[in-house]
Order: sequence, then structure tokens, then C-alpha cells
Amino acid sequence: MDGADRERLLGRLRDVVGDRYAFADPYEMRLYQYDASPETALPDIVVIPGSAAEVAQVVKICADAKVPITARSAASSLAGGTVPVKRGVVITFARMDRILEIDGDNLRAVVEPGVVNLALSQALKPLGYYYVPDPSSQGACTIGGNVGTNAGGPHTLLYGVTVNHVTGLELALPSGELVQVGGRKAASASGYDLTGLFVGSEGTMGIATKIWVKIQPLPPVQKTLMAVYPDVETASNAVSAIVRSGILPAAIEMMDKLSIQAIEAASHAGYPLDAGAVLLLEVDGIPALVDELGERMAKVCRESGASEVRVAKDEAERQALWKGRKGAFSAMGRLSPDFYVMDGVVPRTRLPETLAKIDAISVRTGFKICNVFHAGDGNLHPLVLFDAFKPGQYEAVLRIGDEILRLCADAGGSVTGEHGIGLEKRENIRYIFSDDDLEVMDRIRRVFDPHGLMNPGKVFPGDGLESAPSRAPEHAPRRASAVAGDGDVWV
Amino acid sequence: MGLNARVETLPGHEIGVEEQQRFRVDDLLPSRVMRPADAQDAARGLRLCDQAAAAVVTWGGGTQMGLGPAPRRYEVAFSTDRMSRLLEYEPADLTCRVESGMRLRDLQEALLAQGQRLPLEPPHPERATVGGMLAANANGLGRARYGTVRDWVIGIAVVYPSGKLARAGGKVVKNVAGYDLMKLHIGALGTLGVIAEVNFKVQTRPQVEATLIAHFETPAPAIDSGTTLARQYLAPAAAVLLDNGALRECGLTGDWRWTLAIKLEGYAREVEAARDEATGIIREAGGRVEDGDVPSVFWDAARDWSAPDDGLVVVRAIVPLTAIRAIFSVLPGDSHVLAQPAAGLIDVRVAAGSAASVLQQLRSAAVDQGQVIVAAAPAAVKKGLDVWGMPPPGFPIMRALKQALDPNGILNPGRFVGGI
Repeated sequence: MDGADRERLLGRLRDVVGDRYAFADPYEMRLYQYDASPETALPDIVVIPGSAAEVAQVVKICADAKVPITARSAASSLAGGTVPVKRGVVITFARMDRILEIDGDNLRAVVEPGVVNLALSQALKPLGYYYVPDPSSQGACTIGGNVGTNAGGPHTLLYGVTVNHVTGLELALPSGELVQVGGRKAASASGYDLTGLFVGSEGTMGIATKIWVKIQPLPPVQKTLMAVYPDVETASNAVSAIVRSGILPAAIEMMDKLSIQAIEAASHAGYPLDAGAVLLLEVDGIPALVDELGERMAKVCRESGASEVRVAKDEAERQALWKGRKGAFSAMGRLSPDFYVMDGVVPRTRLPETLAKIDAISVRTGFKICNVFHAGDGNLHPLVLFDAFKPGQYEAVLRIGDEILRLCADAGGSVTGEHGIGLEKRENIRYIFSDDDLEVMDRIRRVFDPHGLMNPGKVFPGDGLESAPSRAPEHAPRRASAVAGDGDVWV
Repeated sequence: MGLNARVETLPGHEIGVEEQQRFRVDDLLPSRVMRPADAQDAARGLRLCDQAAAAVVTWGGGTQMGLGPAPRRYEVAFSTDRMSRLLEYEPADLTCRVESGMRLRDLQEALLAQGQRLPLEPPHPERATVGGMLAANANGLGRARYGTVRDWVIGIAVVYPSGKLARAGGKVVKNVAGYDLMKLHIGALGTLGVIAEVNFKVQTRPQVEATLIAHFETPAPAIDSGTTLARQYLAPAAAVLLDNGALRECGLTGDWRWTLAIKLEGYAREVEAARDEATGIIREAGGRVEDGDVPSVFWDAARDWSAPDDGLVVVRAIVPLTAIRAIFSVLPGDSHVLAQPAAGLIDVRVAAGSAASVLQQLRSAAVDQGQVIVAAAPAAVKKGLDVWGMPPPGFPIMRALKQALDPNGILNPGRFVGGI
């Protein structure tokens, strides 16, 4: 976009949102060039609309001018989902952060896309409800972003991910229309499930401007157990043993030795430093049941090789255990200046062999790899530790990432469990989908977005769009250590 | 070459009179039947149908064939009855992959052998197929607790008129790679493709099951009890509210005017506590809790009630929980009703003659908060009814999706919302 075009477009967008809320100064826009992935790209213009009607007008103006549009909220995407690689206009939802309605009678809440995930659950808590999906970045990430990526979190094992909790959306489409799909009802029997189709489409179909979510009663009691294992293999076999025992806990998380060391250095969560791996397990329910399940689970853990099973004795200890887990990614700054996180999934029964293969990659390449992940779902988060200032390391780490995703795919799994394909995995998507599979998806994308303007350069492999951008970042990757410490910004 | 001549060149076979009746859809009879052996075979067959511009109606068990208006045209019955294999099942992963023609009961039996189940119970599981359950979005009575078909399908393989066999999702329980086309095909009534294979997540069977029956003089306190139960942490696995006529049709006798039947499932301690809680809620609302057992046929009959085989008219309202009372207030006195108050779903059996007026009244009562559709009706009655009601706001997108995936309009033409 040349300077004159940009000025013209900026003027039109300012007519919609006001002068303060649309800008093109490169210095002011710096913040909007990156997300939580290593990739960066500066947009042409940033817009901060204040209402759904403004979003619709902004989208229409951009679409008419054939200018790419990338929606962004907290930008905690780990897959480059909000990096505007084709430049154009970034729409951000800092001003659309209202909880519009809490309707306990119908077990629904209606929110704007910029509402922070945790803020919703905090608002619901006094009423005895909560919103289930809880990405580890829930203190920062927004419901709009959660809809974009179909976000998960530790407690989705039993209760499902974002799509299982969204019943309706208001969408701003490239056509300029504002359309409501689904709504407050529990079920639908009229037309295709556009709500379900849209969730997880990573901003490539349109922009959600209003979201109807399910809320549910808070569990009366939660019990958290920590089981200590000599190594990850024993711990991953224990996961299968727990699932086979007939108890499906609300969460089963695993951390390996390196992760435990990082977490303990950062947050003193109370994990034993000499453990080869720990499992964090949670059951919820009525007190009598939770006690029974806790005992049964502890027994299975011991029988499957746990040297110690510790039950959080009070809420403070429980919170400490979870704080350690949810702050795990930020804690990596204690071990390494940079890390690269993967989001592969394997069937639960393939965890032991997959972790062994990842370890072999670490040994072969010399890069340390930590594992902190949602073991109950088979959703791995290997973190490859590196130093971006050492020449060649970033490229080597990307190759390791590809190799790990390949082995997840070969084990019958997926290349992303909750972070999304984004920019980062658009070539890796071929490991699990054929050209025919992708062609059908692309056809559907074009129904919504015939000119490829909505978050272009994401989800789909390079072909069909313009040439793929370079994967090497323009600037030095940001430092993991910059966010290490108390921040729970990382998923 | 005319259409008939083109249809004659298709694989499969010309259909005898008896088989023609078996594959009848409302007043229409096909001239050919295709019975593909597997997904690849289905892809080849569907492509040939598309090239011949032959209208295709996909057949599973036929239990939901009354849904939607009659097709505009119908040449080929595309039956999945040979595609009935359990392709993969790893109990420790709680996942399985099946061909779409597999009967629900067969799948449940395979899962049961490992102490597991799929918590979906569409009507007539002895005939209903997995593919049909998806296409019709046929859910049972457990939706308030366990969700619907969309919550249990983790992957899908679909055959398109272009001859492509394309997959979405996968075999793992958590997966956000690519578009979620499972959602698109669930409830699409086979208008976008033929579902060939389905991957499910499954669950361990509950430890304990119990039924609680309560009686009420009027529906309002029963509805309130049902919706209050839905808001409890220990929500029931199923809650159905029946009038006396529907109660008898489900095999229970008694002079009770309104009956709330509650199914409780879970760990023993949970079920025990839930029973106490439900009893308290019902008594507070003025209901009378019955002691004694309920014949097991009751839940099966309640499950099948909304998909009758005998040419009855069933009107279905789907509304937010707070709108259920408004729907009940306009029900004619002689209609039989089976509602799921915890899910906002009300099924009404009405006399053929009053179907149109009931439909109209329920739509006025539901206003913009819900949908009212004809879930089943004989062909002659259906002709005079607006089966789906007004197309929803996103309809232009739906039509464009249809055009993108089935450009020649051969799949179930005219049976879906808005004439799709």
C-alpha cells in the first residue's frame, strides 16, 4: 500500500471509529507487529473499534478496498495467528471488552470479543457459575481469541474445548454484513451449524463481534493431587492406567524433570526437584465423591510406579501447584534465553513412545527439550530451548519442531491441539491432511472470503495464496526471559 | 442422453418394486439403488451420479426419513448398508473409527464389551446408523448433560459429488488443525456430502443408573423443576416431562396428569446425592415423588417417541429454558407432549388436521427466541406445512456453502432449510 492509499484509507476508517482509534504511525504500530510466536510483521493501519457496527463498517471498507484484515485481541497466539503477514489493517478489541449479559436462568453469558477469559469466570463466580475452557494464558487471552483458535486448557479433558461451550456468534463478514448465527438456545435445528464451523477458523472467515457462551455451576469441591514418578515413561503409562481405571479426572497434566526445575526456580510451586516427572491430577464434584475418587486415583498412581502421591491439603497449596503449571512457559526463562513451543497431539496410548522419540531428538541435536503438557488429552507441548543470538540455532529449532510434529502425525495424532495452525504450522498441516482435504476447506473459506482478505497467510499452505513469508523473523526473537517471573502470559 | 438413460448407465442396479418401496421418500420412488462397499467406492459412485445429474438420497437406517419436505427429485437411493464396519477401536484412548452405515446398537455393543459407551441415544438404535445420526443431528434424551452429536465426533470422512473423499478432524480427542467440517455435516441432512466414516470419542459407562418419577397436577411446576435441575452441579442424565397420553404411549400406566421422569447416572455417591437433591427440588415445587421401579422399556419408548413409525405428526420446539412455559401455554388440550425441560426441547404429537395451526401457534409463542419445526409427518400432511420455518439469518451463507460443495444440486435436493 503506498502512502497516498494509506492516508485515504486511514481517513475513511477514522470517519468510522474516530481519529484516536485508527493510526498508522510506525512507532505506535510497533506493538501490533507481533504476538507470542517468534514471527513479526508491521501492519499498514491499526483500528480499535468500539462496537460491532463499527467493526462491520471497518471490515466493509477494507474488503471493498481489497485490503487484508487481521483480528487481534491479547495476541497471545503461539502460532503467529495474529501477525499481519500480508500487512493491511489490524483490528483490535481493546475497547470491546464488555460482558453484555449473564443469564443464569438459561445458563448463558453474552460477551464482546475483547473480554478476558479469566474476567468472565471471575464475574460469574459470585453467582455460582464459571466458564469452563481455561487456557493457561487465561489472565490475558480473550474470549474472541479463544473462539478464533478453539482454545483449550487443562480442564478441557472432561468438559471439552471452546467449541463445546459456544452456542452463538454475531459475525462481521467481508461482505459488510453483521449476521447472528446460533444464539441462546441449547440446540439448533435450522440450517447448517455455522457457529461450530466458525469456531477455530482462526479469523479466516470473518470476525466474531458478540459471543454466546455456556456457563455451568461451579463444582462444589476440587481436589488436586501431585504424583511423583522416576521418569516420563512411567508417568505416561500411568496416564493410560488412570484412564483405563474408569476415572476421567477434570485434568491430568505432566511436567518433566527440566520443567520442574524451571518452575521451582520461578514460582516455588512445591514440585520435588529430584523427580523425573510429576503428574498433576484434579477431580471435582461433591465432597464425598471427591474423597473417594482422590483415594482411588492415588492408588492407581502408586500401583503405576509413583514414588509419592501428595494431595493438596488446602486451597493455597492447590493454587500453588496450579500456578506452577500455568506459569511453566514463562519459567523457561530460568533455563534458556529463548524457547520454541510445539503443540502436537498423539493418542494417549502413544505418549510413552512419542516422548522417547522426542528425547532421542534432543540427544541427537544437542538441544534441550522440556515437556509440560496436557497428558490426559495426549496434547504435548515440547519446549525446545535455544539462544536466538547464536547463528543457526533458530533455523535448527524450526527443523526440530517440524520433526516433532511429523512424529505426532505418524502416531495418528495432530499438529495442533489448541494453539492453532496460524502462520507457523501452515506447511505442517500437510502431515495430516491431503490436497483433497485442504481443497474442500479452501472452498469453504472462499464462500466467506472470496478475495482472501481475512487473516491471509494463515491456516492454509502457501499455495492458493501469495508466496509464503520467510519463517525467519525480521527482528531478533523476543526473549523468553523478558516475560519470565510472575507473568502467566504464556499458554 | 436424457436423464433416465444417464441414470441407467450408473453402477448399482435397477430397483425392483419391493425395494423401491423400501427406499421410498414421502411420495417419491427411486429408479436405482447404489450400495457402495467402502468410502472409496462411495466416492466413485457419487461422482458418477453427479456426472449423470442424478438426484441422490443417502440412506442409513431410514429412521429420520420423515424429516424435511419431500425431495424435489429422486433418482438414486444411495445406501450405506454395506459400510458397517468398526474400523478402529482403542479402549485405552477412548476413541473409535467406524463406517457410517454401522448401526448404533452394534457400535454400542462393541463399546459395552469394554465397559464404554457413546452417550448418544438417537431413536431406534437397532436400525439407526452412525451416518444417519450425524446427518439428522438425531440426539437422544441425554443432551442436557452430555451434549449433542457435535460434542462427540472428533473426525469425519465425507464423499463429495466431485468424487473427492476428504477428511477433517482426526483420531485424537483434542485437535484444532484445519476447519471443523464435522460441525458442518452434522445436521446438514446429507445435503453437502455423503458421510462415509466417523471418528468418535467415547466414555466409560457410568457406575450407577437410577430413575426418579414424580407427578404434578399442572405442567408449570414440573417445567420449573426440570429447569432448576439443569442448573445444578449434579444435573440429571435425562429429564422428560410427559402428559398422560405420552406417558401411556411410553408404557407407563397411571392417572397422573403430568409426569417428570429423571434419569440419574454417575458414581454411586453422586447418584445418591443427586437423588436427594432432585427429590427436594420436586417436593418444593409441589410434585409427588413415586417410589418403586420403572420398567426398563420406559426409557427406550421415551427415546423413540419423537420418531414414530406410524405416520404421526410430531412438531418440535427448541427454545431457551426460560421460554418453555410460553410454549406449553399454547399447546392444544388434546395434544400429547414429551418435553426435555433441561434442554429446552418440546416434542408434540398433534392430529393431522390441526398440525398447521399448532405449528403457527408455537411459532408465535417461540418468537425470535427459538425454532419450531415439523420433526415427522406423513407426506400428505407435510405438503401443507412449512416444515423448517423461516430460514435463519445466515441463510445466504448456507446457500453459498451448498453451491460450493454440491454445485449441481444432486444431494437430497429441496429437503433442507430454505429449499436447499
